[in-house]
Amino acid sequence: MAAAIALPETLDLKAAAPLKAAFLERRGAAITVEADQVRRLGGLCLQVLLAARKAWDQDGQAFSIKGPSEAFVETTRLFGAEGALLSAEFQGAES
Amino acid sequence: MDELEAIKVTFFQECEELLADLEGGLLAMQEGAGDSETVNAVFRAVHSIKGGAGAFGLEPLVRFAHVFETLLDAVRAGSVPNTVELAAVLLRASDILADHVSAARGLGDVDMAASAAMAAELETWTDPNAAPAPAAAAPIIENAAPAPTTIASDAAADEAMDDDDLGFVFVPQTISVEAQAADADLIPANVWTVSIRPKSDLYRKANETALLLRELNRLGPIKATLDDRALPALEDLDPEAAFVTWSVRLETEEDETAIREVFEFVDGDCDLEITRGEAAVEDALASLLTAAEAIPETAVEPAAPAVIEIHAPEPALAPVAEVAPVAPAHAPVVEAAKPAAPAAPTPKATQVEVPGPGQSVIRVDPERIDRLIDLVGELVINQAMLAQRVGEYGIAPSSNLAMGLDELEQLTREIQDSVMAIRAQPVKSVFQRMPRLVREVANMTGKQARLVMDGENTEVDKTVIERLSDPITHMLRNAIDHGLESPEERKAAGKNPEGVVRLAALHRSGRIVIEVSDDGKGINRERVLSIAVKKGLISPDLTLTDEEIDNLIFLPGFSTADKISDVSGRGVGMDVVKRSVQALGGRISITSRPGHGSTFTLSLPLTLAVLDGMVVDVAGETLVVPLAAIVESLRPKPEEVRPLGPVGSVLAVRDSFVPLIDVGLTLGYRDHSPNPTDGVVLLVEGEDGSRAALVADAIHGQRQVVIKSLEQNYQQVEGVAAATILGDGRVALILDVDATIAMRRREGGAPRPTEPTLIAAE
Repeated sequence: MAAAIALPETLDLKAAAPLKAAFLERRGAAITVEADQVRRLGGLCLQVLLAARKAWDQDGQAFSIKGPSEAFVETTRLFGAEGALLSAEFQGAES
Repeated sequence: MDELEAIKVTFFQECEELLADLEGGLLAMQEGAGDSETVNAVFRAVHSIKGGAGAFGLEPLVRFAHVFETLLDAVRAGSVPNTVELAAVLLRASDILADHVSAARGLGDVDMAASAAMAAELETWTDPNAAPAPAAAAPIIENAAPAPTTIASDAAADEAMDDDDLGFVFVPQTISVEAQAADADLIPANVWTVSIRPKSDLYRKANETALLLRELNRLGPIKATLDDRALPALEDLDPEAAFVTWSVRLETEEDETAIREVFEFVDGDCDLEITRGEAAVEDALASLLTAAEAIPETAVEPAAPAVIEIHAPEPALAPVAEVAPVAPAHAPVVEAAKPAAPAAPTPKATQVEVPGPGQSVIRVDPERIDRLIDLVGELVINQAMLAQRVGEYGIAPSSNLAMGLDELEQLTREIQDSVMAIRAQPVKSVFQRMPRLVREVANMTGKQARLVMDGENTEVDKTVIERLSDPITHMLRNAIDHGLESPEERKAAGKNPEGVVRLAALHRSGRIVIEVSDDGKGINRERVLSIAVKKGLISPDLTLTDEEIDNLIFLPGFSTADKISDVSGRGVGMDVVKRSVQALGGRISITSRPGHGSTFTLSLPLTLAVLDGMVVDVAGETLVVPLAAIVESLRPKPEEVRPLGPVGSVLAVRDSFVPLIDVGLTLGYRDHSPNPTDGVVLLVEGEDGSRAALVADAIHGQRQVVIKSLEQNYQQVEGVAAATILGDGRVALILDVDATIAMRRREGGAPRPTEPTLIAAE
């Protein structure tokens, strides 16, 4: 069964370490990242997400971000990370 | 991260002061005082707000402040003429800035549409085409004096800015930038490539790359390309270190200075390369990567701190010659081969507001002061207790013990005065928010109003000040919305189309009195009466005095407005004001003259802690009458007492008659009045100047008492202001003189409205 991580509203410096730990715990199985609550995404958590994405790709497990909030999509695009993190439907025009 | 929160609180406190400075400066500009010092002060205020906001990632605030600041900078440079019209626009912008600050604080919302419109308006004033960049050398200086971001980055901002002003040039980071600046004039393309390599410190200082990107996005469309090649595997990832870098393609009409400004607050925490034109992204990334290997994050050791003394040629810009330690800067990645450049001054860790030369201010947690005041209260009680004991033992007043006790009393009083003075603050802090309110309400209602303020320096206990804001706001709104006529009506009535609203604070007999008056049409008594009858608030067959009709507007559910407006008239107006004023132990009343306007008078106890009172005995109960209200005390002679009506009587005092009020009867301690000639009469004067003679059985003496709120501990009791603990440990009630007079008035004379308690202005 696929594991899931619900992202908190604010993904700032404080959230980075717990987020990494959460990913490490769920390593080795397909994962769904619920991003519907996110209102702020910072550079550090972006790094964790990117690293996690790579790790899951390496493991050959599915990694999907589910129902990203508007803020999540917008910030991810701003970061130029939509290719790595968002599914095709959200990769549309740049912000 | 509680520390950060605490600093944030300080930041908001500073914001309040800065906003006040800003408004003060702008008002001065509006009145024509557009000297460079004022403009500089205004600029600095906005700049500091932006600086702090940047450090906390308060993005909308930063964004708006930036536009605002850009215009002010142009004004400062003289490229935008400083006119009265401009000042008016800036004033409105400052209002919106204040909204942003409140919103960032979690108090209220910002009207984003209005904010955007204002930002656009500010931008048109700035007009980039007409306003050339401040100076040709500006980009270089900007670059040379970067302000590292710290939490107290407003200080950094100030200093960095002062550096600019002084033309103080730190060792430039790079020569190539200068070359680029020169190139910039030659290359017409408006495409820039910005390489951003955040350092871990950037995040540690609560800054955010997302914010920088967003800020860049504001200058023009961006396309960020992310490079995560340096990102370690998940399990090895230090979640609080920076690894990812960006290369941003930016299309903008702005110059390099504007782009650099985006990074002003993260300079030193973020390596930056700005190149004109479409850089080959791959190349840039490659060079970044090489550079990254060349200087690993941890290899940058702090240099031994040097000291730079900045001499301020203009006192207005930097009142103190500041000594700033120099922090090491990280070498920009692209110049990795060159030695690390020294960088900007590190700001003072905490910034203390300096209100004037030689004065300094400390911020103290109000709780500590409250505790101190409580303790002083206990001290006063204890001292009174001691004095009483000493009295009981029959020690001679001239004895050493009694004299020592007297001295103790003096000291106690002095301590208490000093402690109260700590909490006393001028009402200015509340008043200064009002000009904006008047502008807005006048705008909304289509009226012309001018606010005249008086007594802004009247000092009031801080706890009172905090709660004054709402009632004053309400009363002012009401005065403009209901009080003032429209400009046309005013002209027709032969008045100046611009109405005057007056807000005054003054001390009167130990209370603070706030008056809000307008020169409008006054209360339409007929209409007030008919509405009150129609709404069933009073019975139609009552005859009311003019004053009583005026005070009907304080009834819950009463509204005179023909139509419900945004401003007031939702029927929750004046009764709410009245309730909040009563909760403070105050009272509110209105006087009105048709055609000439109305005056709301709000009076509050000056201090909430200690009061001088006369201890009296009434029907076996001990009561305290506030000394401030007592004019004199006397023992009436039988011929001076005259009966009036079925139950009442009056006392002839010199040439006038004043109503005799038996306190015991009014408060319900006894059901029949004793002969006033058997007791003592206290001649008291109420708020409104009305006199009355209170009958008590005996006077015990004058005492300082500590007020213990009844409202907080029990509930409001009519006729009683508060309670206190006497020297012998007994609890005594403090008499509310005005309420007692009002109660007696109702019980005496003619039939009164069905809900008398709601009508009396207490």
